[in-house]
Amino acid sequence: MIRVQSVTKRYGDFVAVDDVSFVCRPGRVTGFLGPNGAGKTTTMRVMTGLTPATSGRITIGGHSYRDLPNPGRHVGVLLDASAQHGGRTGREVLALGAHLMGLPTSRVDEMLDLVSLSETESRRRVRHYSLGMRQRLGIAHALLGDPAVLILDEPANGLDPAGIRWMRDLLTSYADRGGTVLLSSHLLNEVELIADEMVLIGRGRIVAQGDKRALLQGRGTGTFVTAVDPSAMAAALERTGYVTVPAGDGFRVEAAPVDIGRVAAEHGLVLSDLRPADGGLESLFLELTAEEQRESFGNAEVAA
Amino acid sequence: MTALADEPVQIELDHDDAVPFSRLVSVELRKMRDTRSGFWLLLLTGVLLVAAAAIALLVTLLNDIELTPVTLAQIMMVPFSLLLPVLAITSVTSEWSQRTGLVTFALEPHRMRAIAAKLVMVLLLALATTVLGFAVGAVTNALYGALGDTPADWSLDASALSWTLITQLLYFLMAFGFGLVLLSTPAAVAMFYVVAMLLPFMVYGPLFGLVSWGPDVVPWLDLGFATTPLAGGEAADVTVYAQVAVTSLVWVALPLVGGLMRVRQAELK
Repeated sequence: MIRVQSVTKRYGDFVAVDDVSFVCRPGRVTGFLGPNGAGKTTTMRVMTGLTPATSGRITIGGHSYRDLPNPGRHVGVLLDASAQHGGRTGREVLALGAHLMGLPTSRVDEMLDLVSLSETESRRRVRHYSLGMRQRLGIAHALLGDPAVLILDEPANGLDPAGIRWMRDLLTSYADRGGTVLLSSHLLNEVELIADEMVLIGRGRIVAQGDKRALLQGRGTGTFVTAVDPSAMAAALERTGYVTVPAGDGFRVEAAPVDIGRVAAEHGLVLSDLRPADGGLESLFLELTAEEQRESFGNAEVAA
Repeated sequence: MTALADEPVQIELDHDDAVPFSRLVSVELRKMRDTRSGFWLLLLTGVLLVAAAAIALLVTLLNDIELTPVTLAQIMMVPFSLLLPVLAITSVTSEWSQRTGLVTFALEPHRMRAIAAKLVMVLLLALATTVLGFAVGAVTNALYGALGDTPADWSLDASALSWTLITQLLYFLMAFGFGLVLLSTPAAVAMFYVVAMLLPFMVYGPLFGLVSWGPDVVPWLDLGFATTPLAGGEAADVTVYAQVAVTSLVWVALPLVGGLMRVRQAELK
């Protein structure tokens, strides 16, 4: 539904987005992930016609964003929840959007209801809103025109854990009904929870993309093992022919968890922790963007 | 990941669904008054308008000064030119300073179309205020005739009338142009008040009245002094029209054109 083709954006000598290509499909939530300043926002601005690309092309449903006659009816956009006039009430912000898109005013109440902004809250001026409330208002605004595509920049910013869960449910059900969602974040855990597909970007370049599971597979870093008697467990595994590498309280073994469980059972040893030593998305992310990070993590391979 | 060759789902475009220009204008008119600052500016202007009419009436009646319709019309324009140009400025600058442009220009990606809607809004505002000014002026004039010794004079010079309106439009366009060029509310408001009020009162006025070459030079510099003869219904020669053209070019046309070029390029941060 969203197709980004070799998009590059330069500001003078600075390359903000460097030959970026990816596709977001209907029915999927695509997470756009990268450290601050990696080019996520710039890509989304190009996507919504706010910033011209230096080269490359983005189409939404086969069209350039500018060619959509009433873009709000097709694409819901939230680029910055704080970008609202502080002197306007939340309800008025939605009413203006509904009026512009040619929607009935009843849509405003539906949306307020959907994002759980109360009647009283909706009549307060946006200046007095918390960031979480602004995010809810922004999501309500993006959903006003019942669009087929959602483009959300850092929508989970400022939401509390319950709010993040709410948003996950909202976006998942939206995608289940056939919607296309692209959401960006610099926080891995958020995206890991919400997204089905991932696009990882660092310093303007895509460093990895794909299905979340596929990204984590094939990283062959074995299994992390901790036992009540770690040295006996390690010795047992060594005798069976596995190589153990000390890591944290336990050690890492190039073997599937089931094989390790079998060895433990044979020797009557008690395991206290057993899990894939892929380090999760976080280590993958740090590894892939190691060069782009401001902080140096040294060897980015995190021992779970 | 899906190969790029995969055909993504298409959006069927429905051009009947397009946002008509009139709706953009009506949204802009609503945005002008639905913020706290917009509301108070309009309310305060209304209060000023009534105050100006009352003062004009009081002063002329008490001092036995003759109140001509043209003078009255010019007095009635003062309250509008004090505060309302700020609305012309903020209609543009708030998109940047309040960053609402991220929403506005996402819903209307053709920026010049969005700006044109604002321009129409500003012209409608100038037009409506002029009409209102004349209406209040007419009431004042009737009261003057009823309360004073001299009967009210209703002979309005059509040319003076249209030039009062044109001047009003030009000042609103000047404010709009400053907003476009500077894209900052405080800077554009300050510049407008300096150019449209401070300089004419503090510098041009004294020069015009006290210095021998003042009357020859000042109308070439200031839009107000250039249009005064026309709006006052005086006989005007080619020089006056040339002065109006020059000052309009410098203070209205150039900021507008430069501002439109800037907005076309400007990033919304």
